[in-house]
Amino acid sequence: MTSVQLEVLLQTLISGLLLGGLYALIGIGMTLIMGVMKIINLAHGELMMVAMYIAYVLFSSFHVDPYLSILIAAPALFILGILLQKYLINPVLKVEAIIPENQVILTVGIGMVLANIATIIFSSDYKTTPVDYATKAWYLSDYWRESPIELSLSMPWSVSFCVALVITAALWFFLTKTDMGKSIRATAQDKDAALLMGVNVERMRVVTFGLGSALVGSAGCLFIPIYYLYPDLGGQFTLIAFVITILGGLGSTVGAIIGGLILGVFESLTATYAGMGWAPVGRFMIFVAALIFVPGGIMSLFRKRRLGK
Amino acid sequence: MKRLTLITLFAFVLSLSASTLFAADTFDLVIPLPLTGKQAKFGEMMKKSYEIAAEEINAKGGVKKKKIVLSFEDSGAKPETARAIVEKLIDTKKQPLIVGEYTSSCAKAVAAVAEERKTPYLVVASADDDITRQDYKYVFRQNAVNSHYADGLVSFIKNVVKPKTMAILYESSAFGNSGADAMEKDAQKIGAKVVLKEKYEAGSVDFKPLLSKVKATRPDVIYMVSYVMDASLLMKQIKELRIDAKLFAGGAAGFAIPEFIENAKDAAEYVMTASLWCFKMKQPGAKEYAEKYKKLYGDYPSYHGASAYSALYVVKDALERAKSWTPDGIRDALRATNVSTAFGAIKFENKEGYQNQNFMDTIVLQVIKGEHECVYPDNIASSKYIYPIPTWRERR
Repeated sequence: MTSVQLEVLLQTLISGLLLGGLYALIGIGMTLIMGVMKIINLAHGELMMVAMYIAYVLFSSFHVDPYLSILIAAPALFILGILLQKYLINPVLKVEAIIPENQVILTVGIGMVLANIATIIFSSDYKTTPVDYATKAWYLSDYWRESPIELSLSMPWSVSFCVALVITAALWFFLTKTDMGKSIRATAQDKDAALLMGVNVERMRVVTFGLGSALVGSAGCLFIPIYYLYPDLGGQFTLIAFVITILGGLGSTVGAIIGGLILGVFESLTATYAGMGWAPVGRFMIFVAALIFVPGGIMSLFRKRRLGK
Repeated sequence: MKRLTLITLFAFVLSLSASTLFAADTFDLVIPLPLTGKQAKFGEMMKKSYEIAAEEINAKGGVKKKKIVLSFEDSGAKPETARAIVEKLIDTKKQPLIVGEYTSSCAKAVAAVAEERKTPYLVVASADDDITRQDYKYVFRQNAVNSHYADGLVSFIKNVVKPKTMAILYESSAFGNSGADAMEKDAQKIGAKVVLKEKYEAGSVDFKPLLSKVKATRPDVIYMVSYVMDASLLMKQIKELRIDAKLFAGGAAGFAIPEFIENAKDAAEYVMTASLWCFKMKQPGAKEYAEKYKKLYGDYPSYHGASAYSALYVVKDALERAKSWTPDGIRDALRATNVSTAFGAIKFENKEGYQNQNFMDTIVLQVIKGEHECVYPDNIASSKYIYPIPTWRERR
């Protein structure tokens, strides 16, 4: 392998990991809701879009840095999630319906309404938050002069990646160490048993939906400095979150992290070695392969091994 | 009640007779345009420009002492609606000439109707090659076709850059494909080897894998066919990866509008792009029109507006020379058109398989100090091009 080839490979892996970290954060929110409520939230990407518009408004009107706007957008999305769950999804869950998955259809509807409201308020023009550090990067050759290869690490991408890691770690801490986190996990594992143990299942569901929304909301704030924004942006990220959820195993947060990273790296590798036009094909290949070969997701592999011992 | 009806009737008759009375002093022109839907932004710009031109012409005495009276019909960028509008104009209103439309699909529909009914149609801003390649005798087009869109840029690359290698990146759509194919042919003609030709999905987040592959091939010229947001992301990530080429060039669309510079910021500097028109170019009338437009509506128009504005002058010129104001009379006059407008010189020719097509010099824009400047061809340039461009490392 020549140094040029090595450079291309390493640079691809770097971009893949950075992208994967962000994908993971988008996926975690969906997988959490999926685990606790057993429904797929197809308005997931639209919730991210809402958070991005909040960040955009804060930036353009009050010059708040997109990263700082997480502190406002995430709580706002938490409240939005709670309201959606309490007043729209819960009533539908209780109703006896012809089709069992009517709450999934409801989330599609919520997504459409959100996208159309955004179109009415902001028009369908593209919006960006042009920050000063948008194209800042660190270069290997700046630190190591004789380096045979040149690698670059984009600053906003790295910051987004690190913040995503911090948020994920905080979530892990919340789920494993706090009382409420444990209740959420109990609800996810066995709703009826949790109910018998005195967990307020109804409340946990509401909190989980809020938490999932807040997570994808913060992902939106991390995305906006490196991407742009328009009302119909949700769909593509819902799809990504869905693939990650299936890949990682339904309801598994660790699985979502691994799934996100795998998807990011795989997409980057297909872009480099098969052509960028193939990236969406690669995404679906992973999706289908996961359904066929590891139907329980990546985490099921680990679990099986542990049982075998 | 009865009296009221009587008065209304009387007023109606009066207005009817008045309109027929004054009809002799006006030339009514109904223009089909997209005023709603996705293309409304361009339709609006063109409508405003037609109005500016009509006002100017009327202020100077109109056409053969007749005032031009414009009205507009909204086609919503839907070919079937455009078709219906034009059928009505020709069949019932007996309008001897059709001007307008914007999208290529609408212009195609209108061209078919016009040809069938032997009424001349002047295409203003639709670029699909086929419109003037169908042996139509009544269809005229004043804007450049897609495959000649980058002529100016190609000639700049050939004469100034003289590249050995080129990389072409394009979005996977009809627009991206045709732009990339045209450039690939042009590259072969000027002796540059296309080392990489790759498409991407519009709306992608991360172009870096693709760009690191581009970097490994070290092309002299990187040519991109993209819409605005992809264009900005591409240039930003090119800067991040410090990919140095002799020239970064874009095939109009996303690269030629101010939003590109707003979004890509300093990464947009020195990027060149093909374009049809720029208010800064040295074309008599261009600046005056652009300033007038800006004064009225707050921002500078793009080539769509300039073409619409000039179209009315082409019509005026043809009407003045036409022996009779019948479809055939106007068609014969249009065929002999040779005028200079704010949009450029306009002359309809039959060559390279096109009929009644205006072949104009397309121009090259370069981003200099955060603004688009017209840099090529030299005779209409608003400022000197910057070439060679500094490397990313030097730019800090």
